[in-house]
Amino acid sequence: MNALKNFMHKIEPNFMPGGKHEKWYALFEAVDTILYSPKDTTYSTSHVRDGIDLKRLMITVWLMTFPAMFFGMWNIGYQANMAIAGGLEMGTGWRETMIALFAGNNPASLWDNFWYGFWHFMPLYAVVFAVGGFWEVLFAIVRKHEVNEGFFVTSVLFTLILPATTPLWIAALGISFGVVFAKEIFGGTGKNFLNPALSGRAFLYFAYPAYLSGDAVWTAVDGFSGATALSVAFDQGVINGMIGDISWMQAFLGVIQGSMGETSTLAIMLGGAVLLLMGIASWRIVLGVFLGMVAASLLFNVIGSDTNPMFALPWYWHLVIGGFAFGMFFMATDPVSASMTNMGKYYFGALIGVMTVLIRVVNPAFPEGIMLAILFANLFAPLIDYSVVRANIKRRLARVSA
Amino acid sequence: MNAFSPAPNTQVWPLIGGVEPKENKQQSNGLSIGYLPLPPFLVLPVNQHIGVAAEPLVAVGDQVLKGQLIASSSGKISACLHAPTSGKVVAIEPRPVPHASGLDSLAIIIEPDQQDQWREQEPWPNWQQRSSEELLARLSESGIVGLGGAGFPTASKLSIDQQIHTLVVNGTECEPYITADDLIMRERAAQILAGVAIMAKLLQVKQVLIGIEDNKPEAIAAMRAALEHYQGPEAVIKTFPTKYPSGGEKQLIWILTGQEVPSGRLPADLGMVCVNVGTAAAVQQCIVDDHPLISRITTLTGQVLAQPRNYELLIGTPIVWLLAQLGVTQAERIIMGGPMMGEPLANPQSPVVKTCNCLLLPTQQELPLPPSASPCIRCGFCDDVCPASLLPQQLYYHARSRNLEGLAQQHLFDCIECGACAYVCPSSIPLVQYYRYGKGEIRQEQQQQAKSERAKVRFENRQARLAQESAEKEAKRKARAEAAAKAQAAKAAGDNSAIDQVIKAAQAKSAAAAATKAEGPDLEALKSAVEQAKNKLMMAEERLAKAEQEMPENAAAFRTARDKFAEKLAKAEANWQKAQQETKT
Repeated sequence: MNALKNFMHKIEPNFMPGGKHEKWYALFEAVDTILYSPKDTTYSTSHVRDGIDLKRLMITVWLMTFPAMFFGMWNIGYQANMAIAGGLEMGTGWRETMIALFAGNNPASLWDNFWYGFWHFMPLYAVVFAVGGFWEVLFAIVRKHEVNEGFFVTSVLFTLILPATTPLWIAALGISFGVVFAKEIFGGTGKNFLNPALSGRAFLYFAYPAYLSGDAVWTAVDGFSGATALSVAFDQGVINGMIGDISWMQAFLGVIQGSMGETSTLAIMLGGAVLLLMGIASWRIVLGVFLGMVAASLLFNVIGSDTNPMFALPWYWHLVIGGFAFGMFFMATDPVSASMTNMGKYYFGALIGVMTVLIRVVNPAFPEGIMLAILFANLFAPLIDYSVVRANIKRRLARVSA
Repeated sequence: MNAFSPAPNTQVWPLIGGVEPKENKQQSNGLSIGYLPLPPFLVLPVNQHIGVAAEPLVAVGDQVLKGQLIASSSGKISACLHAPTSGKVVAIEPRPVPHASGLDSLAIIIEPDQQDQWREQEPWPNWQQRSSEELLARLSESGIVGLGGAGFPTASKLSIDQQIHTLVVNGTECEPYITADDLIMRERAAQILAGVAIMAKLLQVKQVLIGIEDNKPEAIAAMRAALEHYQGPEAVIKTFPTKYPSGGEKQLIWILTGQEVPSGRLPADLGMVCVNVGTAAAVQQCIVDDHPLISRITTLTGQVLAQPRNYELLIGTPIVWLLAQLGVTQAERIIMGGPMMGEPLANPQSPVVKTCNCLLLPTQQELPLPPSASPCIRCGFCDDVCPASLLPQQLYYHARSRNLEGLAQQHLFDCIECGACAYVCPSSIPLVQYYRYGKGEIRQEQQQQAKSERAKVRFENRQARLAQESAEKEAKRKARAEAAAKAQAAKAAGDNSAIDQVIKAAQAKSAAAAATKAEGPDLEALKSAVEQAKNKLMMAEERLAKAEQEMPENAAAFRTARDKFAEKLAKAEANWQKAQQETKT
């Protein structure tokens, strides 16, 4: 470790103004900051500071996606190995070569499932990280500022909401769109008004629907076709407490098809709970999303419909299928694109919850609602804040004049 | 208080927002208040308070006695300055002072003669028999300023015109590390309460509320004990949870009374005045002992010091000498004030001034410098802690883009610069600096506006003058031309007797005069002048109203402008009326 530190110190002058690699300073700084705390300091008025800083905050969010990530890897393998056990052949690509090298296809084996999923998740994550990182560093170099840890979060969130079969080039395209068009052109970290990960995902969803939706993309075995819980629910609704052959508990634990990190509500809640306890994710937003969802689904339950079984879907099913839980804990709580006032956070969350159910239930074109609901609410966040501030002023004025 | 009186109301309201940094008070509050020998020289800046600088009354070479007035207050908001010990004035020149600007400022330098000889003193042990005027006169000569940190001249505060019903005594001391008020309350509680009684008499208040944070149990006990012997309007000690910044004037009033001081107003508008406990003790010393403000209690703390402690220091003690006395010859950082609101001292040659409640000398480990600022991620932590219910990140965005209008809309001037937002900011953005910058920019803008307003009035006056002059000239020229034409005609008629010519010339002259008069005032022009003046006055009124709301300190310039316009309007109206009457007759 010391050798590395010495090496970084030795090469540092090359990246300083006047050094021969001056224009690569941003890259050097990024690596140096990840490894060690930066030596540049600010003189601020308060000479004491709270423990939390941006770096720790971002790294915590990143770490808290790990339960969902590891469960996701296992589940990719489990779903695929189940399909293979059902009679399908494993493909013959480079992934499969690597999988076959160290593991079998036994759906009961923890290792086999994990290893299978690892080779589907990790290449995607590596590509997303590298391509997104490339854009980050490029913009940092051109703009002459430091690379921010926020990208750790964007890249992992984006990867986790992709299906396991996403081609690498599509993932690269998606993260490029998300980072460049949803974030950097507005000025980079902290200045985007849309969630970059979701923007990239939405871009892919509309630009390449064949690769990201339908029945064939969710399980990483060639020739497998199976509808997600959401589309089954859309067709049949809940019969005997089951959606198709999925029980609520299965959906809650996440042993169902879906995007890589989205299936297990339990794993997501584990990470999400830590974020809530640490105050990193706003509990007001999470509560708002949850209550909005419950209210909207109860409303639809009451209205009822003879032709659309989604009307009857209870709220506790909405909670565990699709990307609802992941969106609620990890996407809606992105502070940059959310409302900032405390009151506004409730409204912002509720808007997401209501819109999610609305899109899921009455819009036949989109089985998944939370992605669009969050992007929609992102657009409204400044307006919500504005209204909250105005309302505050009005209320206080009324109190004074009363 | 007799046994049958109802229990005093000790209800408190919770602070809005706020943070709970590590208190770090036990380092310095273990020992009693200490004293140091006389320093080799004393540096006394003439401006240690908010308001106008004092005027030096002594010359270089003068001998002064302890407590002698050496600079007198000038203007309503100003404070006097006294010699902290007897000695000789060796210089009156600019010296480094503890100010964020780092600029030098005029100071009187005294070399002590080590006699420490007092001037003639007239103690008033029975001050109750003195009239309010006498008490106030002594106070305004005392040089006492708010010792909590802001340095507002106390006499100005106590001679307020508004009806005051509540005196709020601030023993909060919410800044970490500082224990000066804590020690004063422990050791000089009786003095404080006597000072409170004096101020209560001056303000004719009905009640006194004493606020102390609950992390100072010894101080609370001492104050409670002293309250037994207190004589004055009903006084209640209220204790409340330790949270920064409970000690802000507006925050404390909220905590103790549940009332909010409106934006842009003062506690006096609610019928309250707030003073620090140290100030109260100084008031007692001044009135009872005839002892002007020549020393103060300062906390010297931080890990660089072997023994953090509170000292009673003479005003003007050079900080570098003071630290050397305590065995510190080199300090990386000296912070004047606490870790939240304190300013790094630009020059250790600066003296201890009246507002210096703490000198903090932290090691790098103790208070590490924050990392460089990262982008704001709108996490909203700052919104939660802001004690003024502002939106710090919005202020930050507006300040960063120099959007002064946006800053005013977000009520920047309600910011008390407590630093709670900077404390929690995960991106370590120096938020308060941005706000100070914004305030400075707005002030400057308004000063410029006021200036251009004055220039405009001057310019318009000049234009009017020039127009009048040229109109007069034109009239004269016309008359002359007519006279000349007549003379020409007469000449042509062949009448060239010299006497006739003289008579003609005289006639022409009087005709010219008559012409100017006969032409008379142009009614239309005068009327439009009145209209114009009216419009301008209206505009000036608007600008004044705006200025009064946003920047009361600059309103004076706008008021002068408005008055000038009003004057002009009156003149124009008079002219018009006169002209109207003339045409009628």
